[in-house]
Amino acid sequence: MLSALIFVPVLGAGLIFLLPTTLPSSRFRSITLVPLAGLLLWTIAIAAQFDLTQTGMQFTERLPWVEWLGLNYHLGVDGISLPLLVLNAGLTLIAVFASASNIERPRFYYSLLLLLNAGVSGAFLAQDLLLFFLFYEIELIPLYFLIAIWGGKRRGYAATKFLLYTAVSGIFILASFLGWVWLTGAQNFDYNPNLTASLPVTTQLILLAGLLVGFGIKIPIFPFHTWLPDAHVEASTPVSVLLAGVLLKLGTYGLLRFCVGLFPEGWSVAAPTLAIWASVSVLYGALTAISQQDMKKMVAYSSIAHMGYILLAAAAATHLSLLAAIAQSVSHGLISAMLFLLVGVVGKKTGTRDIDKLQGLLNPERGLPLVGSLTIVGVMASAGIPGMVGFIAEFMVFRGSFPVFPIATLLCLVGTGLTAVYFLLMVNRVFFGRLSDIVTDLPPVQWGDRVPAIVLALLLVIFGIQPNWLVRWSDAEAATLVPGYSIVQTIQTSAIEIPPSKEVF
Amino acid sequence: MVSTPLAPSSHPLAEYVHRLESGQALLKDTPKNVVEVVGILKSYGVVLDAYSRNLIYIAEHQFLRLFPFFKYFNGEVTLSKLLKFWWHDRINYEYAEYCMRSMLWHGGNGLDEYLDTDEFKNLAVRAIRAKLRGNPFMQGLNGLFPDFLPEQVRQSCYYSGLGQFWRVMSDMFLSLSDRYDRGEIQSIPQVVQHILNGLVADANRPITFSVEIDGETYDIIPKSVGLTFLVDTAVPYVESIFFRGAPFPGTVSYNAQAFQIPAEQGDFTYGALYADPLPIGGAGIPPTQLMQDMRHFLPDYLHEIYRKGKRQEDDLRVQICQSFQKSMFCVTTAALQGLAPHPLDTTDIEQRKANRAFLEQWMNRFVTSRVEVVNQ
Repeated sequence: MLSALIFVPVLGAGLIFLLPTTLPSSRFRSITLVPLAGLLLWTIAIAAQFDLTQTGMQFTERLPWVEWLGLNYHLGVDGISLPLLVLNAGLTLIAVFASASNIERPRFYYSLLLLLNAGVSGAFLAQDLLLFFLFYEIELIPLYFLIAIWGGKRRGYAATKFLLYTAVSGIFILASFLGWVWLTGAQNFDYNPNLTASLPVTTQLILLAGLLVGFGIKIPIFPFHTWLPDAHVEASTPVSVLLAGVLLKLGTYGLLRFCVGLFPEGWSVAAPTLAIWASVSVLYGALTAISQQDMKKMVAYSSIAHMGYILLAAAAATHLSLLAAIAQSVSHGLISAMLFLLVGVVGKKTGTRDIDKLQGLLNPERGLPLVGSLTIVGVMASAGIPGMVGFIAEFMVFRGSFPVFPIATLLCLVGTGLTAVYFLLMVNRVFFGRLSDIVTDLPPVQWGDRVPAIVLALLLVIFGIQPNWLVRWSDAEAATLVPGYSIVQTIQTSAIEIPPSKEVF
Repeated sequence: MVSTPLAPSSHPLAEYVHRLESGQALLKDTPKNVVEVVGILKSYGVVLDAYSRNLIYIAEHQFLRLFPFFKYFNGEVTLSKLLKFWWHDRINYEYAEYCMRSMLWHGGNGLDEYLDTDEFKNLAVRAIRAKLRGNPFMQGLNGLFPDFLPEQVRQSCYYSGLGQFWRVMSDMFLSLSDRYDRGEIQSIPQVVQHILNGLVADANRPITFSVEIDGETYDIIPKSVGLTFLVDTAVPYVESIFFRGAPFPGTVSYNAQAFQIPAEQGDFTYGALYADPLPIGGAGIPPTQLMQDMRHFLPDYLHEIYRKGKRQEDDLRVQICQSFQKSMFCVTTAALQGLAPHPLDTTDIEQRKANRAFLEQWMNRFVTSRVEVVNQ
C-alpha cells in the first residue's frame, strides 16, 4: 500500500520520459497531473484507514534488501509522517498545476518533479535509517536539476550551493546513523529507539549533534541557512513551493523522528541550548526579513523564522509542543507554498519582485486585486491571525513550550510580532497606494494563476476554524514521542520539571 | 489693414495656446480620439439622461422629505425594481448627487448669488410653510432650527439646476452620436464645434424651479430672476466638476493640516481634468460610479476597442475613464471658445492679443492637469 507512494511517481516519471518530445509542454503537464491526482487520492485513502487510536507504525512493509549491510526495505506510516505525506502529495500536485504551460524541456522537468515526490515520500515512509538516508539523498538530485536548469540568472551558483550544503547535511546524518549502529551494536539499520538507552549521555550528545547539524542545514536554522535564500530566489515558482512546502519538512521530520525519537535522553540534556538556538534563529530570520527588498527573499527569511518555532517546540518536548511541531510543519508548508505561488504570479506579471519598485497592486482594474487579496490572507496566516491555521499552530507552539522555556518562548513571540512587521511592510509597499509607473499596463491574470492559491487559502481557513482536522492524526503519536526524561532548565529560577506526559491531548 | 503676426506664446503650455488659436482642440485630432470621444459621449449622454430625470424628480417630488428612501425610483416602486436596486445592477444616481453637492459647495455665478437673496428666502419660507401645513412636529422642528429647511431648499435648487443642465447636455451628446453615425462628424474640431453650437443654442435657456404642494404651484426660482443655462449652470458646473472637484479619499491621502489641500477652494485642482484614471474601480473613488454606469451603454465600436486592450475587459472602467477625460477636454475646449472675448479665428491684432491673454490665463490652470497625458 505504501510502496505505491514511491513507485507510482517513479513509474510515472519513466513513462513521461518515454513520451515523444513533439508533444506540447502543456500536454506533459496534464499527463503528470494524472498520477499525482491518483497519489493524492491514495494518500487520502491511507489516511481514511489510519487508526487514530493506535500508536506506532501502521501499514508496515518489510522486505530484506542488502542483508549483509543491514539495509532493509522497511516502510511504515504514523501520526508524524502521515500529515507530511498528504502535504507532499497535495503540494506536488499544486506545483505541477502552477508550472508554466510553455516550460522548456517538459519531459525532463515533469519527470524530475515526480522523482522528487517519490524521494520525499520514501524519506517520510522509511523505517530503516539507511533507507531514510538514501531517499534523503536521492531527492537532492532532481531538486538540484530543477534549480540548475529552470532557475533564474544565478541558478548555477544557487543549485551548487544547495547541493553542497545539503550533501554536507547528509554526511553528518549518515555519520550519526553509522555511529549509532556501531555503538549500540545494532544488527541492522532498523529504527529502534530502545537501543539508544545503552549509550552514555555524552555519546548520545555527540551523535545528536551530528543529526542536529544535518537537519539544521535542511530545516534550515541559523547559521546553516545561507543556502535557502539563494535557492528560493533562483528557483522557479513551483520549485520554491516544493522547497518551502515539503523539502524543508524533511528537516523538521528528521528532528522529531531521529533527534527526539532516537535520542530522548540526549535531547533532554540539549533541549535548553536548543531552545536558545531556536529563539536566535527566529529573531534572526524575522529581523533579516525586514531588511529585504526582494519579496521572495522576504518569504524565504520568514521561513527561517517559522522553522525556528518548530525547533523550540521540539526542544520543549511536551505532548502539546510536539503536536504543535507537526502542526506548524503543515501550517508552514501551506502558508509558504501559497506565498511563494503568489510572489511568483507578481514576479511573472510585473517582471520584478522588488518591493521598492512595486506599488498599488491591489488596484481593482489595472493591478492584481485577487492576487493581492490572497497575499494579504497568506501574510495574515503567517503572522498568526486568529481564524487561520498559522494562529493555531503558533499558539500550540507557544502554549506547549512556555511552561518549559518561558524566556525562549517569549523571544519567539517577539518573532511573531516581527512577522507582522515585515509582511505588513511588504503589503503596504507592494499592494497599497497608486500603481507605480512600471506596472500600469500589466497583462491579464488567468484563473490558472489564482486557483492554486485559492485552494491553499481555503485550507488555511478551514484548518484555522477546525484545527482538529489537522492535529487528530498526530495526537497519539506525539504523546509517545515525549522523552521519558526531565528537561533541566539552564536558568534555575524558571526550572520546571516536566513529567513524562502520556495523556491524550 | 495688414495684420501683424502675434509673437509665439512663451507659456509652458504654449503648444495648447497655439493649438486653440488655430482652431484646434486641447485634444489631438486623431481617428482613434474621435471614435473614443464620440463613443464615450454617447454612453455619457444616455447616463446623463437618467441622471437628469432623477435629479429633477428628486427636486420636484421629494421636496423637503427628510427620509427620501425611494428617491432613486422616480416614483415607480416595484419589487423587481427594488431587487434590482439591491443587486446594484442599476444607474448609480449617487454620482449625480455627488456632482450636485460639489456644485452646491463650490457655488459661483447667478444661481449661487440668487440663493443668498431675500427673494429666494421669502419664496423658500412660503413653500416650507405650505409643505409643513398640518405637521406640527415638523413645524416645531423648523422653529428650533430655522436654517435647516431653507438649506434643504437651496439643495433642491441645485438638484433642479444640475438636472436642467444635464438635460441639455444629454441631448447634445446623443445628437453628436447620431451625426457621427451618419458620417457628419469625422474630426475632433467638429466634435468641439457641435458642443459649442449646442451651448450657444441653449445659452439663454431659462433655469427655473417650482414645486407643487397640495395642488398649488410654488415658484422657488421664477423665470423673472433671469437665471440662464450657460452662465448660471454650465459655467459653475465646469468650474466645480472639471476644475475644482473634491479631494475624495482614494489612493492619495490628503492632509489638510499639512497644507496638502489648498486653503482657498478656488485653488482646488481635483476635478475631471486633473483626475488620475488609474484608481478607478476602487472603493471611495466617486467617478467609479459614473464609469460603472457608462459601461452599460458603450457603443459596440468603442467596446470593441476596449476589448482589444492588453487586459481586455479587466480594466474596462479605467479605459472608459481615460476616454472620458479626453472627451472632457473637448467640452472644455468648446467652453473656452464660447467664453473667449473674441472669435478665436479673428485677424484683428488687438483681439488676438486679448484672446492670447485669455487663453494663457486659462492655461495657467491647465499646467497640472492631464492635458499632456491625454495627448501622449
